[in-house]
Amino acid sequence: MEDIFESSLHLEETHFEEGYSDGYKHGLVIGKEEAQQVGLRVGFEAGEELGFYRGCIEVWNFAIRVDQTRFSDRIQKMIKQMEELVEKYPVFDPESESVQELMEALRLKFRAISATLGMKLEYNGYPKMGQDPKEMGF
Amino acid sequence: MELYEGGCDLKLLETLEGHGDRVWSLAWNPATGASGTPLVFASCSGDKTVRIWEHTPSPSATWTCKAILEDTHTRTVRSCAWSPSGKLLATASFDATTAIWENVGGDYECVSTLEGHENEVKSVSWNSSGTLLATCGRDKSVWIWEMQPGNEFECVSVLQGHTQDVKMVQWHPTTDVLFSCSYDNTIKVWADDDDDWQCVQTLGEPNNGHSSTVWALSFNASGDKMVTCSDDLTLKIWETDNVQMHSGDGYAPWRHICTLTGYHDRTIFSVHWSSEGIIASGAADDAIRFFVGNKDGLVDGPTYKLLLKKEKAHDMDINSVQWSPGEKRLLASASDDGVIKIWELVSSSTGNGY
Repeated sequence: MEDIFESSLHLEETHFEEGYSDGYKHGLVIGKEEAQQVGLRVGFEAGEELGFYRGCIEVWNFAIRVDQTRFSDRIQKMIKQMEELVEKYPVFDPESESVQELMEALRLKFRAISATLGMKLEYNGYPKMGQDPKEMGF
Repeated sequence: MELYEGGCDLKLLETLEGHGDRVWSLAWNPATGASGTPLVFASCSGDKTVRIWEHTPSPSATWTCKAILEDTHTRTVRSCAWSPSGKLLATASFDATTAIWENVGGDYECVSTLEGHENEVKSVSWNSSGTLLATCGRDKSVWIWEMQPGNEFECVSVLQGHTQDVKMVQWHPTTDVLFSCSYDNTIKVWADDDDDWQCVQTLGEPNNGHSSTVWALSFNASGDKMVTCSDDLTLKIWETDNVQMHSGDGYAPWRHICTLTGYHDRTIFSVHWSSEGIIASGAADDAIRFFVGNKDGLVDGPTYKLLLKKEKAHDMDINSVQWSPGEKRLLASASDDGVIKIWELVSSSTGNGY
């Protein structure tokens, strides 16, 4: 007698728990899909930017080998420093705390080098220096 | 400091018109005003040009516009600065570039353009030896450039640190230490360790700093004191240990020694410390004020008092006040009203500078 009434007394609670459990399972699936997409996109963007800097460094290094006198000591030092930064970027550890810092430092070095070389080259993928990170929408 | 017995006045010598928009800034050519060389200064404006003005001494004793530097900047020219030798003029513009001009037989030629800032460049400053140039802007960064042979400039460093628009940069008068002030209410001090530039000190609210935008800063002649002006309606005096500064470490910390409050009721946009120790301020209430310090053996350090207030010096906000080089107490002021005025601080009794 008690059992029959038990289930109808706790009806609301049961429904709630069922609904919660359904939602949670659904959320896990959707969340994972979304996270995967975001991860792929962010990873791609970071990789693209990093690749761009690597490419620039390779071209510059080649130019230096061709004619070293055209590049001052300071510029050569800066390019070397930029190269070190690219090497240091933790490509396999996206959750490392230094990713943001390293990318910022790379962007700064790139701006300084291109300003001195008089190049108007710009990487179109990243947000402008003066932009508030909160303004960026994903 | 008793400048003149019986007090002093600010006498208007001349009003210079010509710019087609607000005049933002002025800079006196440091190589003029002595040994017979007539005084020269540059003014820059919202009309995208820079004008060079020269003083013609007696008999007419007037100022004429000797050159107009135009067709180069595509937006407002916000700031200008002469190299210590007086041979080069740097102009900073809202078009994100800084132009370097050379006086070639009376004509000014643009010999170099420095690009790099993302947007409006707000200020430019040469170091005491003329080898380094600093610029700052709305993109919150400070750039340091080194002059190379052939008027080429190499970027030494891009400094991030300020969290808002940087309003002014100024090199220390005797050492290669750079100061910047910003919309973020702080003043930052930058020094280098073999080309590696870092922010070595930040003067903010915790250090008795300003509570609103810091618009300008100026050093006294010996470089051991600095005055800053702000939107918080105060002037603040800071001090450092000059001996330590020159000892080879290159940098000594700055500390607040005095706040001048209650003298201004609108934003103070410009402040300049004369070689004799008179502080001039230009504010949004169209007035120019003068302050002097007296050190007479006070335990807590010098106190500063208001020497003179010139109301309605201009019809609109005063953007810049600059003391001239040379012996006379001349001051130039620039305003939103598009006009430049040349003043002399004179004795009330004689009406002259003596």
